[in-house]
Amino acid sequence: MTGATAPVAIDGVGSVSSVTFVTSVTPVVAEISAIEASLFAFVVLTALATAFARDVLAAVIIFGAYSLGMAALYTFYRAPDVALTEAAVSAGVTTVLLLLTLAKTTRIDHEAAFESVNYPAAGAVGLLFAGLAVTMADVPAVGSPDAPVWGNPDVSQWYLAETYARTGVENTVMAVLAAFRGFDTFGEAVVVFAAGIAALIVLRREVFA
Amino acid sequence: MSVVDATLAAGYTVGDFLLVVAAGFVILAIGMLYRAVKGPTMQDRVLAVNVLGTNTVVILAILGAALGEPTFLDIALVYALLNFLMAIAISKFTVERGGVL
Amino acid sequence: MSDADASDRDADAGRGGDAETADVDSSASAGRLDSETRQGPPYTESQVIMSTVKVVAPFAFTYGLFVTFHGGGSPGGGFQGGAITAAVVFMIAFAFGIESTRQWLANTVVVALAVGGTLVFAGLGLVPVARGGAFLQYDLLPLPYLDPVKYGMEAVEIVGIAPIVSGVLVGLFFVLARGFNGEGSGPPIGERGYLGSTSEDAEPAADGTDETDETDDPNSGSAGQPATDGGAR
Repeated sequence: MTGATAPVAIDGVGSVSSVTFVTSVTPVVAEISAIEASLFAFVVLTALATAFARDVLAAVIIFGAYSLGMAALYTFYRAPDVALTEAAVSAGVTTVLLLLTLAKTTRIDHEAAFESVNYPAAGAVGLLFAGLAVTMADVPAVGSPDAPVWGNPDVSQWYLAETYARTGVENTVMAVLAAFRGFDTFGEAVVVFAAGIAALIVLRREVFA
Repeated sequence: MSVVDATLAAGYTVGDFLLVVAAGFVILAIGMLYRAVKGPTMQDRVLAVNVLGTNTVVILAILGAALGEPTFLDIALVYALLNFLMAIAISKFTVERGGVL
Repeated sequence: MSDADASDRDADAGRGGDAETADVDSSASAGRLDSETRQGPPYTESQVIMSTVKVVAPFAFTYGLFVTFHGGGSPGGGFQGGAITAAVVFMIAFAFGIESTRQWLANTVVVALAVGGTLVFAGLGLVPVARGGAFLQYDLLPLPYLDPVKYGMEAVEIVGIAPIVSGVLVGLFFVLARGFNGEGSGPPIGERGYLGSTSEDAEPAADGTDETDETDDPNSGSAGQPATDGGAR
C-alpha cells in the first residue's frame, strides 16, 4: 500500500514546491484560521515583551506566558508530546529555577519599563529573519498531505505503520525515542545527567543538598 | 431559519464553532497580556499569568474537543496542576524577596 | 507520602532536627524565612498555600507517574513524567520549607535517582551488546514470558529516563536554592580548592593543619562524612 503511493507522493512534492515558489505566500496567508492567527499574535507579542522587558522578574513572568501560548500552538498542530513537554518543563521547572536564580542574585530596579533597542543587534536579527523568511515560500503548507515529511513512504509512513507491530506500543513518538533512535536518547539522558554535574561544578558544591 | 440552522446548512461543524471559540479565548489572553506586560506591580503580573494559565487550560480543552483528540486533555491537566506552582513561586518571590525563594 | 507524614516531618525538622545547618553561621542567613533563627516554631506558610499543596501534590504526583507509566499509549513518557514529578517536589518545598524538604529528600536519594537511571539505561543498552547484538537491541534482552521489546522500552522510559530527569531537576533546585557560596557553609571561595568544601566537611578541614595534606591522606577527614564527599575528593 505504501509502495503504491510512492510515485504519487514524489510527484506531488515536486509540483508543490515549484507552484508555491511562483505564487508566493498569498494563498498560505489566506488559509490561516482564526485560532492560528490569534495564537501566533500571542506568541510573538509575548516573545517581544520577554526580550524587551527591562525588569528581569517581569521577563521571567512573561516568559511563562509565552510558554502557555507555545503549548497551545503545539497542541493545535497535533504534537501533544511536545506540548506536554513544554507544559511540564516550562510551567513546572523553568520558571521556578529562573526565579530561584534571581533570588540568589541582585535585581536592579529600573525606571523604564522596556529596554532601549540596540540597533546593530536588531539589524543582525532582522537580517537573519529576512534570510529565513525567504525560505518560507518553499515550505509546504502546514498539514499538507504532499509535504515530504508526511508523504515519504520510507520514513514517516513506515514508522506510523510499523510501530505497533515492531515495538508493541501505540505512541509512535515514544517508540522512535526509545527504540528506533535509542542511542540518541541515551546521549540525551547523559546530557541531562551531565547538566546536574555541571551545575555542581559551577556552583562549587559536592552535594545537591 | 435561525443562526444555528444557517451555519449548519452552510456546512460548518461543531468543531469549527469550537475553534472560533478557542480563538476568542486566545484574543482574551492577548488582552490579559497587557496586564502581564504593563502591570505596574508584580502582583498584577502574578494575577495576569494565573489568569493566562487558566485560560490556556480552557483553550486546550476546547482544542481537544474541536479536533477530536481526547488526549489533549492530558496537557490541560498538566497545566491545571502546575499553573498553581508557577503562581505561588512568583508570589512568594514578590512577597519576600530573598525569603524561601 | 501522606499529608500527615509530611506535616509531622516538617514539624520535627523545625523543632531542632536541623543537624546540617546547626553549625552554619546564622548571621549570614538571618532574616531568611528558612533560617533556623526564624524556624524555631515549625515552618509556617500561608494557610492557602499549605492546604492547597496538601490537596494538589498527591494528584500531581500520581499524574506524573501516570504520564511516565502510560507513555506508550498516550502522550508523555519518561521525560515529561520526570519533570512533573520534580515539580511536585518544588511544590512541597515552597509550602513546607526548602530546608525541611532537603532533609526529607536527602542528597543520597537525589544522586541515587540520577546515577541509577543512567546506569539502568546504559545497562539495558549494554546487555544486548554482551549477547552479541547491537546497543539497545531490545529483542536480545533476557526477559522470560514477556515481550522483551515492549518491556525493554518501558523499562528505559520508567526506570531510566524518568529518574534521571526528576533526580537532576530536584538536585538543580536544591543546589540553586543553596546559592553560590552555600550561604555560610565553609570558608569563602578564595580559600578553598577548586571543588570547595561543603558544610559537612568544613569542620574536619578546620581541624587539619593544611588542606593539601588532608587531600593526600586517604584516611583523614573521612570519619562521619557522607560517602559522596569522600569519593568526590
